[in-house]
Amino acid sequence: MPDTQTVAARKPWLDPAQKPFVRIQKVTKKFGDFTAVWDVSLDIFKGELFCLLGGSGSGKSTLLRMIAGFEAPTSGRIEIDGQDMTHVAPYDRPTNMMFQSYALFPHMTVERNVAYGLLREGMARDKAMERVAAMLKLVQLTPFAGRKPHQLSGGQRQRVALARALVKRPKLLLLDEPLGALDKKLREETQFELVKIQETLGITFMVVTHDQEEAMTLSSRIGVMNEGEIVQVGEPNEIYEFPHSRFVADFVGSVNIFEGRVIEDEPDFIRLASPEAGCDIHVGHGVACTLNQTLWYAVRPEKMRLSRTDPGGAFNRVQGVVQEIAYLGNLSIFRVRLDSGKVVRATRANVARVDEEAISWDERVWVSWTDTAGVVLNR
Amino acid sequence: MSTPAAGRGPMTRLLAALGLSGRALVIAVPLAWLALFFLVPFLVVAKISLSEAAIARPPYTPLWEWEGLRVTLFLNFENYAYLWRDALYLDAYLFSISTAFISAAVALVVGYPMAYFIARSPEPRRTLLLMLVILPFWTSFLLRVYAWQGFLRDTGVVNGLLTGLGIIDEPLRLLQTNFAVYLGIVYTYLPFMILPLYATLVKLEQDLLEASADLGARPVATFLTITLPLSVPGMIAGFLLVFIPAIGEFVIPELLGGPDTLMIGRVLWNEFFGSRDWPVASAVAIVMLLVVVVPIVFLRQIQAHAEERVK
Repeated sequence: MPDTQTVAARKPWLDPAQKPFVRIQKVTKKFGDFTAVWDVSLDIFKGELFCLLGGSGSGKSTLLRMIAGFEAPTSGRIEIDGQDMTHVAPYDRPTNMMFQSYALFPHMTVERNVAYGLLREGMARDKAMERVAAMLKLVQLTPFAGRKPHQLSGGQRQRVALARALVKRPKLLLLDEPLGALDKKLREETQFELVKIQETLGITFMVVTHDQEEAMTLSSRIGVMNEGEIVQVGEPNEIYEFPHSRFVADFVGSVNIFEGRVIEDEPDFIRLASPEAGCDIHVGHGVACTLNQTLWYAVRPEKMRLSRTDPGGAFNRVQGVVQEIAYLGNLSIFRVRLDSGKVVRATRANVARVDEEAISWDERVWVSWTDTAGVVLNR
Repeated sequence: MSTPAAGRGPMTRLLAALGLSGRALVIAVPLAWLALFFLVPFLVVAKISLSEAAIARPPYTPLWEWEGLRVTLFLNFENYAYLWRDALYLDAYLFSISTAFISAAVALVVGYPMAYFIARSPEPRRTLLLMLVILPFWTSFLLRVYAWQGFLRDTGVVNGLLTGLGIIDEPLRLLQTNFAVYLGIVYTYLPFMILPLYATLVKLEQDLLEASADLGARPVATFLTITLPLSVPGMIAGFLLVFIPAIGEFVIPELLGGPDTLMIGRVLWNEFFGSRDWPVASAVAIVMLLVVVVPIVFLRQIQAHAEERVK
């Protein structure tokens, strides 16, 4: 009974009655004195494409390797489909992994690489070859079946690695930086292909990446990791628009952060005095805080407005000088030095091909934002 | 067109004036070395092998004679025909090849687990273990072979231990047997097997072994399907490094072997110093060279093929 709705649309994580498919409970991993993963608990649901996002050394790869069985947790428990997997050897787990290096067997053809897992589990040769042929067709590698890995391009190798990991129909597919070695154009194409394959086969994917754009495009949910801990779990837009902390706001996309002190605390708005911004910040909703508390206000560059004329009002507007403009084609990034000395980033979509009125270098401009543009952070 | 002398050092300009380039000079040095110490002696030996033995000094007839401006050439292939007619030589060649082959095979079986263990050891211990493998080279090869005599003779350490423990009453005959020759060759050449094997095994990526485990292969299956095929180039290199010198080995069969250990090195020595028949000895040497070169060329071909496959 295939579900017609995608997981991203069903959102099983919002339903407390749903049973998670992968259950990571209080997992910690130490290498000597170094703590790679610290007290991570995470539930992943069937059919999800879950991204672990973090910088290098954040512990995301170690967590993935513990799920694959290459590392044993120092403490905690890992459960897949209701079965305790904490200390099960990798060759006995219902998981398969796609390695960052692809780890294709150099002495075997594409066909034998893909067939390897099936033959190891004792499947009859002709049946295995049938499955391999179908899988190679899915990843469009049929004409390359007889080639060795070194005779393939980077993109083709990546697809062999994917086919090899998928052909055993694992309950859970683990992907370590799956698109890291591809150039930008190929990466974008492959992202969509990956999502399509994932939806076709209905296998639960867990992807490790340091690339926030990749995480945004691929995933049903993202877990952001920092220094061995999961700092926030949420859907891509949640992570982007409602970050819990300055770290997440800054790591995912770019952001302008102003420090401020609460000077008015009302049920339906608060006001921050921010010398860093150079004006008062008016927040159009209530926030759990106390007077004089220090808070941070984070606004994304695309939610910053630039204008030559005063937008009016008593707050959320400051003046500055354009320092730099980066033209990216679809949009331009402006770096504006505010009168307070802080440099902010603002983007503008280039909707017209030629803009006679375009703001240029060294111009004095107003920077403003609405009272719902940003998010208040207390850490 | 460029001016060759512009922007170059005085040395380069000097060489250019002599019609030489730096690159040619670099190649010329080893080439001259090989010509002087390998090619010329080889030609001398080849020349002697085509002459006849004589009671003279040197103990062979000249290959050519000058009479005024006329030169007379005396080519004598009788020595080679003699090697072919007398079964002794063919037996010696075959025995040498089989001894070298068996020794190399045993060294492979013994050396592989050692190389594997070293390659899988953590970094600082690896260096120590490799040092231990090379350590015997710090003592003279000859002394070490003599030491084996002390171990293996009837009143030696091994027999003393076995009789002392009451396992045997009569001492076992260990010295002057083919067994002792195998033992000596394997012992002496084992480092040459371990080092190339180690070099291939240590390069084997951990990722490949993890991928194999991840795809459901137990450790033994991973070893047989991934590690072993990928270490074939190292196995061939190690095999050649033991096999080739073992064919012409003289010291080990002389000191550890019995009277029936008829290896070609010993035959050569006897022919040269015993019978003082330099031409036959030279013919034996030339044939031995061919016997060694042919398997090398053959195995190099296999190795190149295996490396191509691994890439």
